[in-house]
Amino acid sequence: MKELFMLIGFSEILLVLFMQWEVYVTKIVKTFSISSYLIAIFLFYLGFVQKSYLVLILAILAAVLRGFFIPNFILQRLARDPWREREAKSIMGTATSITVSLMIVIFTYVLYELTLYNFVKISFGALPISLIFQGAFLIISRRNTFIQLIGYMVMENAAFLLTGYLFPDLPFSVEAGSVLDLIGVVMISGIIMRMRENSVKKSDDFDELKG
Amino acid sequence: MLVLLSIIQLFYVLTLAPLIVGIISRLEEKIESKEGPSIFQPYRDLIKLFRKENVVPEQSSPIFRIGPYISFALYMLLTLVLPIITAFPLQFGPVVDFIGGGLVFGAAGTIKKITSLDSRNNYSHLGTSRSASMSALSEPITVLIFIMLGVISQTNNPYVINNVLQTSTSWYLSLTHWFVAAAFFMVLLIETGKLPIESHSNAELGAIDQSMEMEYSGTDLAFFRWGSYVKQFLLMSVFLNVYTIPFWIPMKMNFEFIFIYMGIQLLKLIGLSIVFAFFEESVSKFRLFKNFDYISIAFSLAFLSFLAFYVSR
Amino acid sequence: MNYLFYSLPMIASLIGAFLCFVKREKFEEMISIIFAAFSLISAILILFLSDVSNSFFFIDGISKIMLIIISMIYTLTVIFSTTFLKYIEEPLFQKRFYYLLLNLFAFSMFFSVSVNNFGLIWVGIEATTVTSALLIAVENDESSIEATWRYIIIVSSGLVISFIANILIYAATGTLDISTLLSTNPTSEKLLVFGSMMAIVGYGTKAGIFPMHTWLPDVHGKAPAPVSAIFSGVLLPVALYAIIRVIQFSPISSVKTFALVLGFLTVIIASSLMAIQIHYKRLFAYSTMENMGMALIGISLGGYALLGVMILIISHAFAKSSTFFLSGNLFSRYKTTKIDEIKGVSKRMPSTAYALLFSAMAITGMPPFGTFFGEIMIILVLLATMPTGYTILLLSFLALAFISLNFKVGKMIFSNSEGENMERKRVGTIVPIIDTVLSLLIVFFIPWIEKVIR
Repeated sequence: MKELFMLIGFSEILLVLFMQWEVYVTKIVKTFSISSYLIAIFLFYLGFVQKSYLVLILAILAAVLRGFFIPNFILQRLARDPWREREAKSIMGTATSITVSLMIVIFTYVLYELTLYNFVKISFGALPISLIFQGAFLIISRRNTFIQLIGYMVMENAAFLLTGYLFPDLPFSVEAGSVLDLIGVVMISGIIMRMRENSVKKSDDFDELKG
Repeated sequence: MLVLLSIIQLFYVLTLAPLIVGIISRLEEKIESKEGPSIFQPYRDLIKLFRKENVVPEQSSPIFRIGPYISFALYMLLTLVLPIITAFPLQFGPVVDFIGGGLVFGAAGTIKKITSLDSRNNYSHLGTSRSASMSALSEPITVLIFIMLGVISQTNNPYVINNVLQTSTSWYLSLTHWFVAAAFFMVLLIETGKLPIESHSNAELGAIDQSMEMEYSGTDLAFFRWGSYVKQFLLMSVFLNVYTIPFWIPMKMNFEFIFIYMGIQLLKLIGLSIVFAFFEESVSKFRLFKNFDYISIAFSLAFLSFLAFYVSR
Repeated sequence: MNYLFYSLPMIASLIGAFLCFVKREKFEEMISIIFAAFSLISAILILFLSDVSNSFFFIDGISKIMLIIISMIYTLTVIFSTTFLKYIEEPLFQKRFYYLLLNLFAFSMFFSVSVNNFGLIWVGIEATTVTSALLIAVENDESSIEATWRYIIIVSSGLVISFIANILIYAATGTLDISTLLSTNPTSEKLLVFGSMMAIVGYGTKAGIFPMHTWLPDVHGKAPAPVSAIFSGVLLPVALYAIIRVIQFSPISSVKTFALVLGFLTVIIASSLMAIQIHYKRLFAYSTMENMGMALIGISLGGYALLGVMILIISHAFAKSSTFFLSGNLFSRYKTTKIDEIKGVSKRMPSTAYALLFSAMAITGMPPFGTFFGEIMIILVLLATMPTGYTILLLSFLALAFISLNFKVGKMIFSNSEGENMERKRVGTIVPIIDTVLSLLIVFFIPWIEKVIR
């Protein structure tokens, strides 16, 4: 159980590091899909062990929505040549961003050990929390909207993983509601992203969005 | 008795090192549906080079001549201290530990860089600076890896690490160990000059190691080449015997087992060669500056093994 | 069956949303006004019913007041929208979808303030993001889409933090029902403290509280006027409602201090930035931030300050929606968002000008208006509980905000300008005037508000 959680947690961290490395959006989306399936596998196993059908339903929800539906939706939303969609000019170098992402993981672990660990007494909890920060960093370090959305969903996935492992008895309505909201956010972002690509160029700069 | 085994190990490495190189290049050609050279081609190359005369640049100093011999000698020293056919220390085993071994590797590399600087060839200088910046960044990873191995085995002795991993299933299956192994695999690709890092051509855009030995010829070049074959052989053996497949290596003195194992070791190396060949054929070369991103991934893996150790405590 | 009554505002807005699918000319406007008014009436009726706490609803005085403000601003916004939408040149979608989203938006806010589960509050607040995002982009130009994108990504990320906070609160107490949370003692107080702090930061994202407020001026600056009004008037207080609940069930001094510090920083940052604004909608946006910071300070102090917070929220909702409606009027006539390019409003648009003057006074806490009484209660409690220096600091920044906002508004209104009268007629000016008057009249209801929230 613990071993599986560690394996899944570290693979998630590695997958986020891979996302930092990658520039092509399609590959990042597929990586995200893989990470969602991993979480689904974990939840499935958890539900099996605890014989809780709610967790099993959550696992299926995670696999169908996060693993299959959302990535496909994003891929459909990509421009005409999906393979061409990429981060043209990143804010910081790839090596820097990978290293910073790694440092965030270490920092979060230390922070977790100093604070939360004293109450929870589970040292794996640091993994999902550091994933949240990594997702936030993915949002900050990229300009491409698709990648930013993926960063947000990495954060969501991490929250899902945290609940799944530490508190699987959280009320089902909350979990299901969060999944529904995620779909809503993705749909809306899909529309916005499509609009951003072919928006009317009225103002030449974002002067109005400063200060 | 240990002396005898040491000599056997030395001959084993020196004779088989070119064979592994030949096998890899032949496999690669086979994957590309070509006939490919014979697996003994590296031997023929070496013999040919030994027969040729040496040409030395006018401006170079004596370092240029002695460099290849020193570095070859250092590799020979390393051959005597690493677990290749036995899992117990041989005669020279106590001379250096893992960190010391890393230093000797580094020394051999440095000598190669100094000699190529001494050749006063612009392309050699280019290769040297590239190689130096790559190794400056990959060295910390190696150190991290050694530290993690020290955490696992409480020592820096490669033989002890091998024994720990051979006997303890929990360590062998732990994430800590596999992160270290993955990081070392990435470093291995850097050190042996495999494909995502450099291609085997003299094109100056991507050449690193090739351009460093540009001014060498004859026997000097032969020693350089042989040295790098031995280096590759040693690193592959370390990767197999310490990191990934530490099994079946005889931990007790028993000539019969050791001789049987020498065959198994060759099979292991051939297996790894197949992996390398497939790897080289399936990836393309990175742009030179992308290499540093690759190094940062390797560094992350090595660091994550730290984290895995603390988290699984 | 009796409980069904409490869900009437929700049901009304939901039905209004679904009826927007009917394709008939002007039908969606009529439907939205009718159902918004219906939700307002039912919210007022709920005020006279007793408090309720069952498996789904948790409605006490604060919720009731929130229901009333939401339905009030919702109604006014719908009415104002009917006259405003025609000024948008290339709208993103048809009118029907605008009203559909507006009704759903109101529904999600009603939902957030009446459920009895802290997790479902999170769901409701996240749903407000989903339903409101497209409303911002109605103008369909590059910068409004950019603002929408920032809104989605920043607010959603912030809400992930509050999701984690929910998990931690659950871990500390074993429940997420607000009624149970208010009565049980946590098994681990430190965990609860940690969770509560994260909840304040997370919901504070939506309420424009300091560390993650950056989306707020962009969105308010670029959204169409009615949307800015409903955002500023009620969406942010709904997020504050979640923070009020957090402070209520974890009344621990460190959590309160944390909230106090964040509130202080928000006021300081917002007031300082107000001085350098050159776009009037962004100026009002920062003013909203400043008011939310004041409200957070009040929430953290508790006691009488909480009454002050409710008064502040109510009268700010009216006054601020009025200013945004009026800024919509300005934009529809002058076609610019810059303060410098707007001159002589008092001559060219007299009713707009004077309504704007009074509502600008109202949002900065000028005496006769409700905001003044709200702020003064908060400041008095602050003075009583904290060293005097804090109060002086706060007052100086409030004064800075007051001066910079009123100076800039005054410059727009009283400067000289040639040009004929171009005042908007009827609804466009009546709605904001009603708003401003309401923010004044709220003063007379103070004793009664106090009775409700006790």
